[in-house]
Amino acid sequence: MNVLARLLEHPGIWRGRSLTRIDTLASGFPELDARLAGGGWPKVGLVEILATHLGSGELRLLLPLLARTTHQSQARWCAWIAPPLTPYAPALVAHGVNLARVLVVQAATGPQWAPEWATEQALISGACDVVLTWITRPLRPRIVRRLQLATQRGRTLAFLLRPWSARVAQEPSHALLRLGIEPRGTGVLVSILKSRGGATGQWWLDLDAARADTGV
Amino acid sequence: MASRPLRKSPLEPQSAEAPQQLSLAVPPAGSPPPQGPVAHGEPAAALRELWLGVHLPQPDPALLQRLALLAQRFTPRVSLEPPDGLVLEVQGSLALFGGAVQLYRAFRAGCNAAGAAPVLTLAPTPLAALASGRAGMSFKVLDQQHLVSAVSPLPLAALRWPPQVLQRLSKLGVYRVGQALRLPRAGFARRFGTETLGMLDQLIARSADLRAPFRVPEKFRAKRQFVREREHHAEILQALQPLLAQLAQFLEARQCGITRITCRLRHRNGLHTDCVVRLAQPEAAAARFMEWFAERLGRIALPGPVRSLELRSGELLSRAPVPESLWQPGEHGGGGDGLLGGSLELIERLRMRLGELAVHGLSCVDSHSPEGASRPVSPLAADFRRTAAAARKERSREHKVRPLWLLDEPQLLREREGWPQLAGPLCLRHGPERIESHWWEAQGVARDYYQATDVNGVAVWVFRERQPPHRWFLHGLTG
Repeated sequence: MNVLARLLEHPGIWRGRSLTRIDTLASGFPELDARLAGGGWPKVGLVEILATHLGSGELRLLLPLLARTTHQSQARWCAWIAPPLTPYAPALVAHGVNLARVLVVQAATGPQWAPEWATEQALISGACDVVLTWITRPLRPRIVRRLQLATQRGRTLAFLLRPWSARVAQEPSHALLRLGIEPRGTGVLVSILKSRGGATGQWWLDLDAARADTGV
Repeated sequence: MASRPLRKSPLEPQSAEAPQQLSLAVPPAGSPPPQGPVAHGEPAAALRELWLGVHLPQPDPALLQRLALLAQRFTPRVSLEPPDGLVLEVQGSLALFGGAVQLYRAFRAGCNAAGAAPVLTLAPTPLAALASGRAGMSFKVLDQQHLVSAVSPLPLAALRWPPQVLQRLSKLGVYRVGQALRLPRAGFARRFGTETLGMLDQLIARSADLRAPFRVPEKFRAKRQFVREREHHAEILQALQPLLAQLAQFLEARQCGITRITCRLRHRNGLHTDCVVRLAQPEAAAARFMEWFAERLGRIALPGPVRSLELRSGELLSRAPVPESLWQPGEHGGGGDGLLGGSLELIERLRMRLGELAVHGLSCVDSHSPEGASRPVSPLAADFRRTAAAARKERSREHKVRPLWLLDEPQLLREREGWPQLAGPLCLRHGPERIESHWWEAQGVARDYYQATDVNGVAVWVFRERQPPHRWFLHGLTG
């Protein structure tokens, strides 16, 4: 055992878990934090969230994070790019989100409008803390990789919200973390499909649990 | 000033002959002698001046601006007297126009062409020109020696002194300039203030009247003619670059920025295309301009090859130097205040391609109907932060569950045996919550809202009309 421990100290040897020494942000759900690599959402990087339906609870999963980041003293923007419907301000306020930091980017569908482009701009500008992007059409892995690289440039956390289909779930992903969300009762069934430096798994998460924890 | 000839006529007051000049202020008959040496600054400048006063019967700042621009044709020395007055010094221009009368007529013609009918006066001091205009007198005094007798009948109200001063003077029975001039200086200064006395001195050229000159708003204009016609956007952009660099230098020298630049591309047959760039905040960097024009030009379909281009700036705005953060964004303390630097640049870049309305913030509005409670606002609007602060206050009051997504239009739901259907029957979880608008509002709302889940387990927000036909609608998603 001692020999193994010494061997592992060798500088040429990298362990998967060592990658988890990344800055993280608490998700507001202790149960979720415990299962994510590093104990929360990565501070910088791309997170893919696949939801079976719009409104499965994917947004409620993120609200404690949004509430906290938008209330920081030096908060940057929280950008919502191509949301499928209009976000409803009173509900966001009720969940503790500071509207003064919310930026919604929505354009009429046309040849000029590519949510990928707007997302990349928001990511590399360094003017955002969190970027949420909804993309329903199929994405090439190259684009996901490009967005992941853009998060590093602007030191931003990006959530890519996509519909969960069998095809999408099988694609390789360059995101740090890929979650699947299914509505189930008052909570969601969370599946970690990919987690760099963490474990995969599936469990049920009570979304109402966040309220007691964060006091939001 | 320097070019004006210094003519010395025996009638003209000269600085060397101070007593004679003083006696000018004192009407000859039955007046007290001046109170010792005048302890009031320098004697009036010996320079001859002639001021053309313009008084608008109705205050009109826009018209005044136009007339000030017109006045630039007559003299560079123009100053505004808002809201209804304008004076221009024309002594130096008399020779050019062939005398005061011709100049006066030319100016009147110009005013008429501009659609104005102001009262025009000529006087050796600006204040005399203005005051006589306000009094509505046709006043043409070209010589200083006639000035005192000419201004004496003017009412004191035309000098626009404070009402208390005028009231106290009226108690003494002093209503006209001539009467005021006859009062002893020391007592006058003590009772009515040195400023008031100073204005009297300026009125009769006993002391100099310095006025802030009117400056014509500056604009940048540059043109470039091509030897051969250009067809490609890249070529046009390349040609635009030196002009934009000039513009940046122009702005840098004036410490100004602009929020609007127009580039006019001229084609054959007198056709042209305008490419307008609008910015969220005053900007002066050539690289930024270039980036935006690249974005804009790329989307414009040109009707033909371009022969020349012309760049015009909008109004120059004062620009605060951009505070750069010491830290990179993401480093501790990096990113700075959310409304500075990069955050505005992001908004501009997105708007440049997607249009003004594509980027917005959110705010809460006090409204009974759920549709009215959320409103898009400009992220740069000044009131945005205030409403956000109000929303924070409201947060403590807000207990009711509201959907995170609201449909723009409520979606009509099918019904089967009285149950609303959305890809299967809905399961009502909580409710009803009754939402009614005021009865006096035209678009009345009377609904019973329920939280429900559909067959997939998605939490939705539905309502049933209170009035017949009691239809069900889907209005939002809570997830």
